[in-house]
Amino acid sequence: MRDMRMQEALSEIAVITEAGWGIGEALALALVRLGVMVAGLSRQAFQPADDRILPVVADVRDPADVARAFDDIRARLGAPTILVNNSETYPDRDILDETPASFMDTLQLNLGGAVNCCHAVLPGMVAAGSGRIVNVVTFADVQPAPLAAGYSVSKGALRIYTRALVADLGDRFPGIVITDWVPGTHQPRKGIPDGVAPQLAAEWGARLALMKSPEINGLVFLQDREHALPRSLKGRMKDRILGRSRAPVALR
Amino acid sequence: MSALPRPHGQLSVAEAARHSWDVIVIGTGIGGGLAGRRLAEHGLAVLYVEKGPLGHRAESHFLRDDLSDYAARQSRGLWPTMMEATVDGGAAHRFFAPLGSGVGGSSVFYAAAAERPERHDLESTNEMPHPAGGWPVGYDAFRPYYDQAEELLSVRGDADPLSGLPPPGLAAPPLTPTEAALFRDLRQAGLHPYRAHEALRRVPGCSDCLGHKCPRPCKMDGRSAGVEPALQTGRAALLADCTVEELVEAAGRITSLRVRVAGAEHRLQGEIVVLAGGALHSPGLLLRSTGTHAAGCANSSGWVGRGLMFHLNEMVAVWPRRGSPAAGATRAVAFRDLYAHEGKRLGLVQSMGVAADAGRIADHLKGMIARSVLRRVPGLGKAATVFARASARLFGSATVFVAVIEDLAYPENRVRPHPEDPEVPQVDYRIPDELRARRSLFRRAMRRTLARHRILFLTFSPLLNFGHPCGTLRFGTDPATSVLDADCRAHDLDNLYVADASFFPSSMGVNPSLTIAANALRVADLVAVRLVREGRKTG
Repeated sequence: MRDMRMQEALSEIAVITEAGWGIGEALALALVRLGVMVAGLSRQAFQPADDRILPVVADVRDPADVARAFDDIRARLGAPTILVNNSETYPDRDILDETPASFMDTLQLNLGGAVNCCHAVLPGMVAAGSGRIVNVVTFADVQPAPLAAGYSVSKGALRIYTRALVADLGDRFPGIVITDWVPGTHQPRKGIPDGVAPQLAAEWGARLALMKSPEINGLVFLQDREHALPRSLKGRMKDRILGRSRAPVALR
Repeated sequence: MSALPRPHGQLSVAEAARHSWDVIVIGTGIGGGLAGRRLAEHGLAVLYVEKGPLGHRAESHFLRDDLSDYAARQSRGLWPTMMEATVDGGAAHRFFAPLGSGVGGSSVFYAAAAERPERHDLESTNEMPHPAGGWPVGYDAFRPYYDQAEELLSVRGDADPLSGLPPPGLAAPPLTPTEAALFRDLRQAGLHPYRAHEALRRVPGCSDCLGHKCPRPCKMDGRSAGVEPALQTGRAALLADCTVEELVEAAGRITSLRVRVAGAEHRLQGEIVVLAGGALHSPGLLLRSTGTHAAGCANSSGWVGRGLMFHLNEMVAVWPRRGSPAAGATRAVAFRDLYAHEGKRLGLVQSMGVAADAGRIADHLKGMIARSVLRRVPGLGKAATVFARASARLFGSATVFVAVIEDLAYPENRVRPHPEDPEVPQVDYRIPDELRARRSLFRRAMRRTLARHRILFLTFSPLLNFGHPCGTLRFGTDPATSVLDADCRAHDLDNLYVADASFFPSSMGVNPSLTIAANALRVADLVAVRLVREGRKTG
């Protein structure tokens, strides 16, 4: 199994944003160990954990900077086949202390960063008819925590962006597979007591980033498995009768 | 995505308008695409004008009737509006017909069926008199163009043992064991199945692409076998996203095309105009071109838009005999045992190439329910799903066959542009009694032939194939009863030719694509010879 995955991984070129620390760093390492060529984006210069990882400095909030960074990656590694949008900020700020500018700056990083990077990779993926985009999200939008207005709005919007991408591209380019992923690693944060180590989550994330089946397009993954939308009892019975029920996709 | 370079040969309207073209081809489907290619290979300067977009080459979407947004349809190369049809004088129905509008036209969505008609489709024979007294160009004159079309479309398959037609030049890939079992089953029933003729190059990674755009240089259609090789000659150019609104006529010639691009009007000029907008839209353009004649351009006969034919689709699910494996989804099989039956014109039967599983059968049942009076019965769609699941569980996967039952031309069956929206084709169609009778004959004959099989007819009422429109600019020798002459040139106009399915005076018992392609090559040769003869081009 591992050998097969390595064979498939050898022709992949992945870009991971905010790859200088945490889950981004761990994911870059997991992918490079599977034989993927990896470029890591970061706002600050950083020393990659493995010298096969190409560090690229760019501010994902700035579309021009992102375009330049991806030109650089294309020149040095080739056209990216995998994009993991992992950049985020969590300002931990009371809404009364937010200014419109500070609020929108959170959106510009958490949502705008993903938009900028998608815009940079999509022409190549559209030309190839294939590609893989993983948006790192949370369920912060479902029940926003105090002090997390910008974060909750931007992460929720990113999940909508994923579905909008699938609505526009899914039928035309079934080979461009776009999913959400909640790694569940956020130990430093409040409210997530059961966060897992980034190294473990990165194993799952690497598997998810290498899954290319069009059937997973638009799905949300939580840690190591598909996060199925809750269905009512009636809905579940209907699924059974109409033959639509299926087991959630697992990443183990 | 604006960063992508414009592909070689694509022009802006300003660039196209500056040039005087030898030939302007309107429409890039299987007819326009191949005509333009042949014209460019003759050394002529060709401009393709396409209403829809170029599209992205790696796209692989299907036709969609669940997407109603105009721009979303347009960007996918789907005809952007619904069609309006009044069948048998009932209420007018609006629905998304299986029509393309982009480079390759509808052909990029076709199932790559490339079947030759038989002699009696084009001519009267002793056994089978022709309903229109025969085409003005006989079978033997068409034959070399069928050969050429098969070559350009990389048609592969086996010889049909009944018609005696020659096999395509290329062999089809070997049958799977389940397909071979299906062949054995059908032979045991006394049928003569053969490997259906398909226009697929079968490149590595080929996924058949039946009913959806092909992302590889594999399925041969108006784009891959027409526009793309034409652009490679360097003598053809493409103007996409350009709607032709009027053919401007003076002194028996088309002098210019009034077109619209991004809301602005422009004029294009060509020595010859080849119209290939498809049998629903080509007559629409002529009927809208009223600058000289109120009844429309090239319409002195009054036949423009009339003689509209579709095939009748008769679908039947056939389960394997006990002990045979289920062949399920295959496009591999065709047979002509009922092509002409008891002196009546029926047509080719072919496997549909779709998974005949529970979902597919349920879809058909639900579609049929939606089209019938049963649509008012609540919950019937769900019942159909449950029924289909139960039958799939009991009997395994069926193979769905579809008969292409020939439709004949009647002047009252017609298409016009909708008075309120010229992009909506307005179809008036009456299913003739003789067609209903031939349909019944087909069902009886199928039931008798497959008496030892479990079969299920999937069509309750006659189902028109809105993807096979033809006949709306029929060719003939009499200018009083036809729009085009034997060369597919308008009787009324010196420089207007037609290269789509509009020219058919009868619809034949096979899928139309190969005949459209063959005729497009023939028309292109006639145009090229003429331009050389008149000294406007050197050969």
